[in-house]
Amino acid sequence: MSKLLSPANNEVLFMGNEAIARGALEAGVNVAAGYPGTPSSEIIETLATVVKERNLYVEWSTNEKVSLEVAAAASFAGLRSLCVMKQNGVNVASDFLLHLTASGTRGGMVLVTCEDPGALSSVNEGESRYFARMLEIPLLEPANFQEAKDLTKWAFELSEKIRNVVILRSVTRMSHASGNVICGKLPTKSRKALFEYKGSIMDQLRGPVISTPVVIKHALQQEKLKKAVALFENSPFNTYSGPAKPELLLITSSACFLYSQEAISMLNLQKRVGILKLGCTWPPPPQLLKKHLKSTGKVLIVEEILPFLEENVKALAAGMAEDIGIKKYYGKMDGTLPAVGELNPDLVAEGLGKILKVKYKSQPPGYVKEMEKIIPMIPKREQTFCPGCPHRASFWNMHNALQLDGREGFVCGDIGCYALAALYPSCGFDTVRTLHSMGSGTGIASGFAKLGQFGFEKPVIAVCGDSTFYHAAIPALINAQHNRADITFIVLDNSGTAMTGFQPHPGLTVGAAGESVPAIDIAGICEAIGAKVAISDPFDLEKTCGLLTDFLAEEGCVKVLILRQKCALSPEKKGKKQFLMKVDEERCRGEECGCNRLCTRIFRCPALVWDRIKKKAVIDDVICAGCGVCYSICPQKAIIRTEAKQK
Amino acid sequence: MKKTLSKDPTNVIITGVGGQGNVLASRVLAGMLVNAGYYVTIGETFGMSQRGGSVMSHLRISEKSVMSPQIPWGRADIVVALEPVEALRVLTKYGNPDVAVLANSRVVYPVGVITGELDYPSIEEMQNALKRISAKSWSIDATGEAVKLGNPVLSNVIMVGALCATNLLPIDHKSFEEEIAKKMTPDKRRINLLAFDAGAKMI
Amino acid sequence: MNCSSELENKIVKTGLCTSCGACQGLCPYWLSHRGKTIQMFSCDREEGRCYAFCPRTKTDLAKLREEFFPDADYIPEIGPFYGLYMTRAADADIRAKSQHGGTTTALVELAMRKGLIDAAILTDAKGGVNPKGVLVKKPQDVRKYSGSSFQIPPVLATLNKALEENRYKKIGVVGTPCKTLAVYKMKSRPFPDNDGNAGNIGMVFGLFCGWGLDWEGLEKLVQRHAAGKQLEHMDILPSKFHQMVLKTSKKQMEVPLEEIYPIVKGSCNYCVDMTAEFSDISVGGARSSEGWDVDQGWNQVIVRTEKGVKLIDLARKEGILEFKAVAESNLEKIKQASLNKKKTGLKNLRKLSGSKNNLIYLNPDEPGIEKACVDMA
Repeated sequence: MSKLLSPANNEVLFMGNEAIARGALEAGVNVAAGYPGTPSSEIIETLATVVKERNLYVEWSTNEKVSLEVAAAASFAGLRSLCVMKQNGVNVASDFLLHLTASGTRGGMVLVTCEDPGALSSVNEGESRYFARMLEIPLLEPANFQEAKDLTKWAFELSEKIRNVVILRSVTRMSHASGNVICGKLPTKSRKALFEYKGSIMDQLRGPVISTPVVIKHALQQEKLKKAVALFENSPFNTYSGPAKPELLLITSSACFLYSQEAISMLNLQKRVGILKLGCTWPPPPQLLKKHLKSTGKVLIVEEILPFLEENVKALAAGMAEDIGIKKYYGKMDGTLPAVGELNPDLVAEGLGKILKVKYKSQPPGYVKEMEKIIPMIPKREQTFCPGCPHRASFWNMHNALQLDGREGFVCGDIGCYALAALYPSCGFDTVRTLHSMGSGTGIASGFAKLGQFGFEKPVIAVCGDSTFYHAAIPALINAQHNRADITFIVLDNSGTAMTGFQPHPGLTVGAAGESVPAIDIAGICEAIGAKVAISDPFDLEKTCGLLTDFLAEEGCVKVLILRQKCALSPEKKGKKQFLMKVDEERCRGEECGCNRLCTRIFRCPALVWDRIKKKAVIDDVICAGCGVCYSICPQKAIIRTEAKQK
Repeated sequence: MKKTLSKDPTNVIITGVGGQGNVLASRVLAGMLVNAGYYVTIGETFGMSQRGGSVMSHLRISEKSVMSPQIPWGRADIVVALEPVEALRVLTKYGNPDVAVLANSRVVYPVGVITGELDYPSIEEMQNALKRISAKSWSIDATGEAVKLGNPVLSNVIMVGALCATNLLPIDHKSFEEEIAKKMTPDKRRINLLAFDAGAKMI
Repeated sequence: MNCSSELENKIVKTGLCTSCGACQGLCPYWLSHRGKTIQMFSCDREEGRCYAFCPRTKTDLAKLREEFFPDADYIPEIGPFYGLYMTRAADADIRAKSQHGGTTTALVELAMRKGLIDAAILTDAKGGVNPKGVLVKKPQDVRKYSGSSFQIPPVLATLNKALEENRYKKIGVVGTPCKTLAVYKMKSRPFPDNDGNAGNIGMVFGLFCGWGLDWEGLEKLVQRHAAGKQLEHMDILPSKFHQMVLKTSKKQMEVPLEEIYPIVKGSCNYCVDMTAEFSDISVGGARSSEGWDVDQGWNQVIVRTEKGVKLIDLARKEGILEFKAVAESNLEKIKQASLNKKKTGLKNLRKLSGSKNNLIYLNPDEPGIEKACVDMA
């Protein structure tokens, strides 16, 4: 039986994302939709494993906006629905979200956004708490694993009470951390879908679901928010611990609560500092804050990314200054805490130490001294393409074709592991020169290609992954073709949403829960758009580079090259070697060779290492994935490949 | 087997290189401890951060409560390293004079070393360094043992077996067997048990 | 010095590169694509054959001559000299497909038949568009590759690969002056321990050359005048005709030289060698005082080494070539034409370096250069 379905009162080790999924199940969620993105993906993934047992409909949608629409339909039909994405996904969904918050919802609907302070697995340090404020809907933030479950469950109830969507925000250190959780009851009844639309336009439960008359519905929306604040005032998810009149009041939410607790105990400040932990962060409950602000003269706000909570507390405090008096505020704005990056117990302790003049050293001085001698011998470990990664071969081909073309062309990158091709020293053939959001590489390339009249002559390649193709690249590709933007568009098709853990996408024949679904053919779409399309295996270096070189030279239309090769970590490939690789020591001329260590200096596969004693290349058999590509790059043909026997 | 924690919380860091099975090791270990009745908090990151980079799981074991998913600097009690230089890297931040270290001696070169831009220390240099900055340290060739068992991927389980044998934590062969009975299909259990026992013998 | 980046920055980027291919076929770092020499990746070697073989890196020509032409007369305008001949292939089949008189084809074929060479590096001109280097292993195949191309393929890359392979021990090379100079730089074995089997170079056949054309420029020109047609031949007529001709199997198209000048390969402007001074024997179209109409279908041949003498004597003996009396004024005419090329090259080199005395890859003391200098002053 799935851990997710553990009986009530059982204590289970849940990852934050699993706790959120369990909370949704306890709330009786019916429909869950999302788009993969670290650190959010496991919520949909784990729900997908219990669709039969819990009669759920779970899907990986084409993009975040569509997933929100799919979840909204369930709510309109009176069901409970969950929609999940990472921080930047909320930007994608935000157009619909604006209108959804205006029309309101019916069945409980929760939008979970998992954010990534410090950009551990993102190319942005985005923040979506401001959407709650801007779009006037409630925001909840769990501060531990138990709360991740309980607050999710309550979020559905809140949504149904106010008939609007509720945002639940997690962060990487909550979503991907694990801790003990006591399970609650799973409901025994499932709801029936019923969409009523014959009532009046003002009838939230029986009329058409639209945002007009806008001004009247806007006022209604604000009423709903007031209802939420009233509930927040007495919510058990807002807690205080510490002395009645603390020297310093620490206000915090989310994983920062755990850091703050730890920091206070590291500095032994339990008697001087009180923690007001808010689970309900927008709108902040004024009476609760008034009570605690009154009790102290100094306030530290601990939060990650932007000073959202700090701004809100200060704004409230300004309004109640007459009652609470003048306070001294500490936080991100005055530099007590770092303005960017993620926090941890030490950074909070450092902030506390500064305010309360407490000294703290994490390591004894003698130890630090010893360590100073050791640090220089630790080589940095940069990220790189995995052994056997198709992207290494694909970008090798792109680099070579661009070099041969000779016009100093470049690649507009996109979101996926292939972003590594923008980073030195992940490979010695970096070609990616722009990198933004999903699908943007194609739009940017389309723009560059229209700069000819201003003297721009470089050829432009846009890349995107197979999942990204469906998510956001298609409109940009249509734009390029329609506006005669002469780009070469490469789909790095590795058969799944690989970076986030092989979630299926519209190009595959399986859905989120393993059900059979029709695949949408990338080549067919591109051909229908009018592009010239070719398909190649990136491991076939000669063919791929040749095709690409021809495409770059060809003017007058959009060229699409689909590079098809499964991710080396995919379940189908992992642990299975196609080839057994070996370096022939006789043939490898080592440092004497004119290759100037092409294999290790430029190609940089983690499995192809330089033996400093023999001064020759060697294959580390433990690391080698057996893709066989290095066989094609050695000018001496010293890298030997033999077909491996399949087990 | 030891019955209690010698320190509450006991902070364990499992480190290695993306792809070495760090996450599985931390999950199995945490599961064994939860079964034994402890609060366990795991802090880790995955996704893009894994691709060839250093990875780290923080485990915090307590009889009282869940903790911050990030261990404070200087507060690691046990470091389990699937790759030797990663043991040193973790200790620079989280080490202290009382820390115990269990390291796999099999190296995975960083890309900078492969290109020839950076140097990788010798095994002797690393072992000497470990001795200077830890109270206790073990270095074993878990990968070599895993290769003997037929799959280098088993080195993480071998390390868990070795960790058990150090007697630093209240876990044993039986707790491993119980945990994998929950997590693994029967066909996988046998080889993992073999790996666990092989690791235990290496201490 | 980093030889690879020096080559990229001082030779390729400055427009001096002749696209001869001497730097290629040695390593994965240098390749050629559509007539352009391309550095694929950065290389951090301090010295390498790529730099040492390049005909546009600094070369001590006098020393090279001393080593390889010790006994020949030396004429500053046209280099080592054993004699000037006017010849054409005796075989009418060869003549029919050749640029002028088919002398080169006949000589290479003969050299291979007689074992003076055991393979030959030739250019597969393909009617003049998209030419490439070929290694020819049988004498009967030589004539398949007669005819010229004005695009310049990296033929020496093919040579480097053939030398590395070490299968043929006496490889003949046919090439324009820039290429034959590079071949002699290879023969001089700048790295004795890493000479890439330079000893396997057999004979060197030079081709007279005024200039080559830019790869893409010629491609576009052909596209303009003979779109979609398979060219069989192209030629540039003597200056009084002021034309280039393109021939398909069915028709001939004349292109005025105004269209050709703009597509002359940039690096040819820096060339000071018309007659392939570094070669065993060099061959060109005939340009005698009797006029082109008379000489059309004949070659002029300069023999420069004893090997060259031996081959031309053999050709006479075997009746492979037909010989025609060489008018006395011919030598003067060639010398003048060659000197004119040196002067143009000098002027352009000075312009590029911005200094009268800096001739980039040439030594101002070189007698042929000195003569051109005096003539210009």
